[in-house]
This record gives sequence, C-alpha cells and structure tokens, in this order.
Amino acid sequence: MNNIINIETLIFTASIGLVVIGIYLVIAEKNLIKIIIGLNLADSGVNIFIVFSGYIKNKTAPIFSKGSLGFENMVDPLPQALVLTAIVIGFGVTALSLAIAIRLYKHYGTLDISKIRGLKW
Amino acid sequence: MVNPILLIIVPIAAAFFIPIISKAAKSLAKYIAFFVGLFNLIAAIYIFMHTINTPISVIIAGYKPPVGINLYVGPLAAVLSIVITFIGFLSMIYSFKYINDDSSPLFYSMFLLLLTGAIGMVLTADIFNLFVFFEILCISSYALVAYDRNRDGLEASMKYLIQGSIGSVLILFGIALIYFSIGTLNMADIALKYQNANKNLITIAIILMITGFGIEAAIFPLNSWLPDAHSSAPSSISAVLSGFVIEVALIIIMKIIFLIFSATYFLTFFAIVGVITLLMGELSAFKQENIKRVLAYSSIGQIGLILFAFSINTPQGISGGIFQIINHAVSKSLLFLSAGYVIHKTGSKNVSDYKGIAKSMPFLGIVFIIGALSLIGIPPFIGFFSKFNIILAAISKHSVLYIVLTALVLLGTIFEASYFFKIAKIMYTGKKRKEGYAKVPFAVLFPLGLLAIIIVISFIYTNGILNYTNKAGADLINKIAFIHAVLG
Repeated sequence: MNNIINIETLIFTASIGLVVIGIYLVIAEKNLIKIIIGLNLADSGVNIFIVFSGYIKNKTAPIFSKGSLGFENMVDPLPQALVLTAIVIGFGVTALSLAIAIRLYKHYGTLDISKIRGLKW
Repeated sequence: MVNPILLIIVPIAAAFFIPIISKAAKSLAKYIAFFVGLFNLIAAIYIFMHTINTPISVIIAGYKPPVGINLYVGPLAAVLSIVITFIGFLSMIYSFKYINDDSSPLFYSMFLLLLTGAIGMVLTADIFNLFVFFEILCISSYALVAYDRNRDGLEASMKYLIQGSIGSVLILFGIALIYFSIGTLNMADIALKYQNANKNLITIAIILMITGFGIEAAIFPLNSWLPDAHSSAPSSISAVLSGFVIEVALIIIMKIIFLIFSATYFLTFFAIVGVITLLMGELSAFKQENIKRVLAYSSIGQIGLILFAFSINTPQGISGGIFQIINHAVSKSLLFLSAGYVIHKTGSKNVSDYKGIAKSMPFLGIVFIIGALSLIGIPPFIGFFSKFNIILAAISKHSVLYIVLTALVLLGTIFEASYFFKIAKIMYTGKKRKEGYAKVPFAVLFPLGLLAIIIVISFIYTNGILNYTNKAGADLINKIAFIHAVLG
C-alpha cells in the first residue's frame, strides 16, 4: 500500500481538490453563504499546500528547546509562519463577506444571488 | 533621508489609532487623516528626490535579504508612491466635506489602510509581503465600496469580494508554488535562481499570479466587477480605485513579467488582450446612462491602453505606459471627483439630467472638460504626450501586428472622444438653472483646481516628466541592477 499512495501525493491531491471544489462552489452555487463557504474551502486548500511545500519526509516539528533535535531533523518552519498569516487574512475576508451578506439580506430579503440583481451590466 | 518604511508604518499605525482616538472626539479622525496624508505626500516627494538616480534597498528588522524582508525603492517605486500619496491626499480632502456621518472614523481608518496597501505593494521586494499588502488593499477597498450601505454599494462590494477572493487564492497558490520550487520568497533571489527550477511549475505559478492580479487590474475578461464597484462607491473612493488601485495591480503584473521572471513571451498575448480590453471598455462606456459607469468603463479602456503600452516591450513603450498611468491617475480622479460633486448637487447619476449644468456651475464644467480632453489625448494637455509616446513606440516597433493594434487603439480613442463630447454637449446645452450652484466649497475647489492646473500646465514640464518616466521604465526592466541593489 505504501508503494502505491504515499503521504505526499495524498496531501497534494487533497489540497488541489479542495481548491477545485471551492472554486466550483463559487461558480455553481446560488446561495451566498455557500459561495462564502466555497471561498473558505479554496483558501484551506491553498493553506494545506503551503504547509506541504515545507514538508520534509521523516522530519519533526521545528521547536527549539533544551535537548531538542538539531535543525537538520526539522521541517521548514517558514511555510508554517506564512500559513498563519494566510489563515488570519482568510478570517478577515470571511468576516467581512458575512457582514456584507447580512446587510444584503436586510435589503433584499434573500440570499439567492440570482435574485440580487440591482445592478446590470 | 526619510526611511521609506515610514510611508507604510505611519498610515497603518494611524489607521489603527483613529477608531480609538475618535471615541474622544469624532472630528479628530479627519485631522489625523489629513496630517498623515500630508506627511506621506511630503515624505514621498523627499524619497523621490533621493532615489530617482540611486535605487536603495531598505532592510527591515535587521535580517539581510534573502532571509529578511526588505523594501526596494527605485525610480519606479518613487514615481508611483508620489502618484498614490498625491491622489490619496486630494481625495481625502474631498471626503472631508461629504463623509461626516457617525462611522466616518472608520472611513478614514480604512482609507489609510488602502493607502498603506498600495504603497506597500509598490515598495516591497518580498513576494509574500506583497500578498499581505495586496490583501490589505483589497479588504479595505471591499469595505469602502460598501461604505454607503445602500443596495448598489453592497451588491457591488459582494461581487468585488467574491472575484477578488478567487484572485487572492490564485495568487497565494502561485506564491506557494514558487516557494515550493525555488525555496525563496525574495524577488531578487527568485530572479537569480528561477532558471534552475522546474520550468513547468514556474510557468504555472506565473500564470496563476498574473490571473490573480489581473482580476484586480481589471484586464478583460476578468473585469466584470469593476463597473459596479467603481460606480457604486462614494465618489472619492471611486477616484482612488480608478486613480491608482487598478494601476498598482497592473504594475505588479509587469514586475512579475519583466523584473522577477523574464517572461516576455506573454507580451504579444498581452498586447492583443490590452487592445481588446480597450475596445470593450470604450464601446461599453458609449452606451451607458449613469455618468459614473461611463467613467468606470473608460477606466477599463485606459487599463487596456496601459497594458498595450507595456506590451510593446521597448524602453519608450514602457516609459509611455508609466506616463499614461500618471495621466490616468490625474485625469480620471479629476473626472470622478467633479462627477461626484455634480451628483451631490443634482441628486441624479443620469447624464440626461445634466442639461445646462455647466452654465450654472461654470467651474465644474471647465474642470470636467479639461479632464475629459486630457483622457482623450488632445494637446496641450498631459494626456496628449503620454498617448503620443505610446503610439510612437508602437509604430517604431515595425511589426504588422503592432501597426494594426495601434490603428485599433486610435479607433478606441475616437469612441472615447465621442462619448465625452456627448456628455459635454448635454452639460453645455439647455437652460441655466436658478439654484445657487455656482458656489463651490473649498474642500471641492482645492483638489479639483489643483488637478486641473497640473493637467493644463504640465506641457511646460513634459521633458522633465519624460525623463522621470524613462528612468522608472528602465528601473522596471533592469533586472541586474535590481538584483545587485537588493542582494549586494
């Protein structure tokens, strides 16, 4: 089994899959909340990919303390720092989008985007 | 000299302090925003004078690049930061008159965040830092578009947010791929090492990043959010969004193509896409009724022209593109601000309601015409020289494709002229209105007058501006100097 699917392929496929599912939701769904969930999924997929890009097989978490392993036994810590930033940004965007969705609901009484059409091209 | 990092730190610090301080007195927010805007403008001019000939790299937090984050301030960044701080400052003064409700401290706070994001994007030399500034810019502009909390603003903001977030996901994925295959995030280090990495992954990363920034830059067919967002935002925000936000995203695309990866094989494609964007924008603007939508579509057209100018890939063309960015920033913000005042006075966004408006508001009529003529490219206004340079550069390329595209650009200019003359005709015909329209408050008079004066008298100083845009253009394509300045 280990020869057929290794952990790298699995994580890589999962991350790409999440991005594709997220973008599909944004394109196909009519409900605003589901669209926002789609954006979140796509964001998570990218975040998984960033963590994965710093992964080195059989290495441990980069924590320096007394008696810890040397840095040659650790994974790359930079992507983990990046992903924290990316998660916070994603949180901000989600909060703002939900706030706008609430306001839109108050104006239109619906979250169906095919009915929210005040502006035309 | 002033440390360029102050251009970023001062507005972001002020943005976070404004909501707290304004608990004491609401009017404090305005004064803080005013002084921060003024400080940024003066600092940007000062930095411009020091870096126009000698690019500098500023190390942050004591770690030398490629490990630490650094800023790269060359002629291009210096020119753009002047454009950003200048247009930002004038739009802020204009806002003082109209944004006075209970949540106005939040408005100024987000306005300063928007400035921070835009300046940070042009200054930074770290690709993840670029993403963070891009998100600061995007989130504050989503919120500002919805500031009026009316139907149009909220809907436009939601459209903008959904498309912009997809763009951010693509950009972040591109950055992750770059880090995955090259192992560094510093732009100069990437430029140095990318040839040893996997070619396919790099190409995918470039395409992802160009698409992501292309959404923000409103390149056809990624621009369906722009007419809504730019027309529904408060007028001072429309001026800022059209004036420099889309251009900053475009400059980042050009940095990716020219400075980081020498990916000039995209440029023929971009020349064609640019002209399609131009024609699509100008043709759509022609049939619009809402004056702000006309201006928003005209922005799409101008972005197409700027994209075309960069795609010529000669020093003259790139210099012309940067010149056109300056022209568009000045003229389009003048048009948006004057249109905003007319909308405020008449209470209507429809062009057909503006009959005879220029007779009762002579000042507004004149500045609107000046801005429109400059955008069309009528001599002696500033727009003539930028457009002339672009056309000259395209023709001296001596290729059939570029001659044909130039002809199409000129055709687009004719459409542009026709809808601006249509508006001008409506504004200057019809009965004079009796109401006290003629008196213009200082907060409107000052920005509009200053922008109009700059457009009119700049022909005296064309050679000087051309000299600076040439230097900025050379800065954009001189990869070796960039790597040398950052990595030493």
